[in-house]
Amino acid sequence: MQRPRYNPRKPMISVRRLLRIALAVGCIGAVFARAAAAADRTQPVADLARQIAAFAGPGPAKLTMRNLSSLNAEEVPFIRKMLERDLRGYGIHVSDTDGATVIRVTLSENATGGLWVAEVQEGTEVHVAMIPVSLGPATHTQTAAGITLRKSLVWQQKEPVLDTITLQSGDSRRMFVLEPRKIVSYTIASDTWTKEQEFPITHSRPFPRDLRGRLLEEQGHLFDAYLPGVLCTGTQSENSLTVSCTDTDDPWPLSGPAVPQKAFYNPTRNYFTGLLAPGFATQLPPFYDSTVLPRPNGVAMLFNGIDGKIIMIENNTMKLVAGVRDWGSDLVSIRSGCGSGTQVLVSGSGAAPMDSVRAYEIPGHEAEPVSPPLGLDGQVMALWPSENGASATLVVHTETEQSQHYEVYRVSALCN
Amino acid sequence: MFRRFVISGILIWCALGASARTRLHYGGTLRLEVQGDPWQGPDGIARRLTMDGLTQLDIAGTVQPALSSRWESQNDDHRWQFWIRSNVQFHDGTPLTADAVALSLTQSCRYRCPWTKVHAVGQSVVFTSDLPTPDLPSQLAQAKFLISHQNAQGTLEGTGAFRPAGFPHGVMVFTANDDHWSGRPFVDTVEVRPRRSIRDQWMDMGIGRTDVVEVPPEMLRQAGQQHLTIVASRPGNLLLLQIENTGPLANPQIRQAIALAVDRNALSNVIFQKQGEITAGLLPSALSGYGFLFSCDRNLNRAQELRSGATPPQLTLAVEDGNAAMQLSAERIVLNLREAGFKVQLAPVGGKTEADIVLRQIHLETNDPRAALDEIAEDSEQHVSINGTDIASIYRAEKDVLATYTVVPLLYLPRAYAISERVRDLRLAVDGSPLIADAAIEDTK
Repeated sequence: MQRPRYNPRKPMISVRRLLRIALAVGCIGAVFARAAAAADRTQPVADLARQIAAFAGPGPAKLTMRNLSSLNAEEVPFIRKMLERDLRGYGIHVSDTDGATVIRVTLSENATGGLWVAEVQEGTEVHVAMIPVSLGPATHTQTAAGITLRKSLVWQQKEPVLDTITLQSGDSRRMFVLEPRKIVSYTIASDTWTKEQEFPITHSRPFPRDLRGRLLEEQGHLFDAYLPGVLCTGTQSENSLTVSCTDTDDPWPLSGPAVPQKAFYNPTRNYFTGLLAPGFATQLPPFYDSTVLPRPNGVAMLFNGIDGKIIMIENNTMKLVAGVRDWGSDLVSIRSGCGSGTQVLVSGSGAAPMDSVRAYEIPGHEAEPVSPPLGLDGQVMALWPSENGASATLVVHTETEQSQHYEVYRVSALCN
Repeated sequence: MFRRFVISGILIWCALGASARTRLHYGGTLRLEVQGDPWQGPDGIARRLTMDGLTQLDIAGTVQPALSSRWESQNDDHRWQFWIRSNVQFHDGTPLTADAVALSLTQSCRYRCPWTKVHAVGQSVVFTSDLPTPDLPSQLAQAKFLISHQNAQGTLEGTGAFRPAGFPHGVMVFTANDDHWSGRPFVDTVEVRPRRSIRDQWMDMGIGRTDVVEVPPEMLRQAGQQHLTIVASRPGNLLLLQIENTGPLANPQIRQAIALAVDRNALSNVIFQKQGEITAGLLPSALSGYGFLFSCDRNLNRAQELRSGATPPQLTLAVEDGNAAMQLSAERIVLNLREAGFKVQLAPVGGKTEADIVLRQIHLETNDPRAALDEIAEDSEQHVSINGTDIASIYRAEKDVLATYTVVPLLYLPRAYAISERVRDLRLAVDGSPLIADAAIEDTK
């Protein structure tokens, strides 16, 4: 864990430089990404050309192409060019004049992805060829003013994700992905994560809907995975990984080792019971989330009650925090070095299909937004502190008419 | 340090006005009203509340485990093995076993089943079939394959997220199943008021007597004008004409003429207020990706050409479901056919069995193109033969079915509900049925 640090003056310049570098890298990346996307089309175009050639003999042909899919319109001329080139290889020469052969290509999509359809018409006879195509992942960019929240994609998959953790052991890096039914380990090679092993999560009681879970690095073994009523422990002995799960009501850690506060999680609901360990004279009302906030005279703890009210416990007193109307259920503090040094990241209402995360500071007992909302393409499912405390792990559930997937981001703050 | 804190403040919970919206709350009663019988048909919400299938479809239409925790295809999809989830009980406490599942499926499917035989093997159920059934996991998510068993009193018991709890004052009451394998639902109770007309449903919504009411596609525009909060599915109800291929309609050219004479645009624009998706294919475009290959255009000249010289005797068109929009659609189709030179009359309500042409709706329950085509073919009594696993094979099979002109797809219509401000996160399954167990009530503390 890094120690808390204050915002130094000079690094502001470095941050700008870093931003410029990041922008330049981003642009270069975009160029490469486009090139890679174009390269991805080579095989399906070749397959489509082969199928077209099976119906149309050599000679001139008129080619029309339309895009009914979510494919970027800029890609269409490239695809057409590639197709014309490949058709020439089969002796089919594309011309604008009406000929005996008409080839109508439609770039469409269905429930599973892209579908390229070619109708080859010779006289009154029409033959149809179809090629399923991967449409490729969408790109995400985010800019803002003031304190800027930045998100970088760590992982995405179709199955639900509750949390992820990346652990370094010697030269090897592993990522563990906590899913509702299993924990999956990945190893990295050439910047690509490769699935290593799957460990089923065994439990005797049903998990609640709106399932939450958290992965934490632990001393003495690899990690602990906390789920409602279940604790899974990951260990490594020599080269083998093992994960064992037991039914338990052990409290979940609320923060890092600096403030070893734990709380009991309701095994059949989506919130903490309000009972803390170590405890107090009075039980707190049930809450969704909690975080530690450094204060001038020590630390305070924030609790996000299930009724939407935020309690701050500081200097032996418990008070309500004002200015939290836009707060959702998930909150986490990060040490950014900006402003007061620490901000609370809070999810949006969680009601809209497009959610957000925003940074706040709480100088007294009123929350003040210190960053614009970081727009998200879906709903926040989890917001946990990351291993170093300087960023947060954000899980977003995005869904379209055709698909749904879960994206895991590392969210950090940039001082402007 | 935190250990030293002692609570001394007194909380004034009401001091800060309205709170933010948070994760879903537990508790409360969700009230909904429906036109039909909640226990009947694919729209029967009571079955979905109280029973589970071996599989289920998520919102995106992907097959997910339900009462079966995993499955495996063997022998080139001729044999499927589904392992039954452990520690699941029917509402009367009877444990869910592979034998109970096999018996339930045998009883629920006696004709045109996607399997030849289903039987229990240990804690698994094995399906065997003469033809490969790659889409069996998707098909098993359909409402007709929900698992139940008969208790000592002869009543059907399910394993679903809600248990039937009585029928006081004409309201069906269902209570949350705390031990549901997928977690307890958020609301404590669901109250279903059956056989309510749309007008009464909307009136009850207006006075805060209900939380969820039905919105037929032709009333979606009106619901929007009344500022009702709407949740609508993708178009998944196929409106089609089913044409006899015997007697006066034995000639395929005559059936083709009927298909060409129908004006789909008018049906969509006038009767269904542009809320449907015009289709000449059996599968919705979003599912197949090739819907544009089937022409939706009306071609009256060609229809007259095909019909000329072979004028059939008086034809009868009937409506399977007697609601107003269907009746209006049938009247318009009769006019379309008369313009093409056919002598057609509209059968009185209930005259379906003697009709030459039937206007009906098929409710699509799957998001898998192959399973969807199988489902439509079965429901419309068509023979479909899909030779291959790729999308082109499905297209060829669909084209073959359509070439018989015994079934003429017209429109895909959405299912929609209006919801009150109390309801949170009510979403619709891929077939348009409301996912009540995942919804919550906002005013619950």
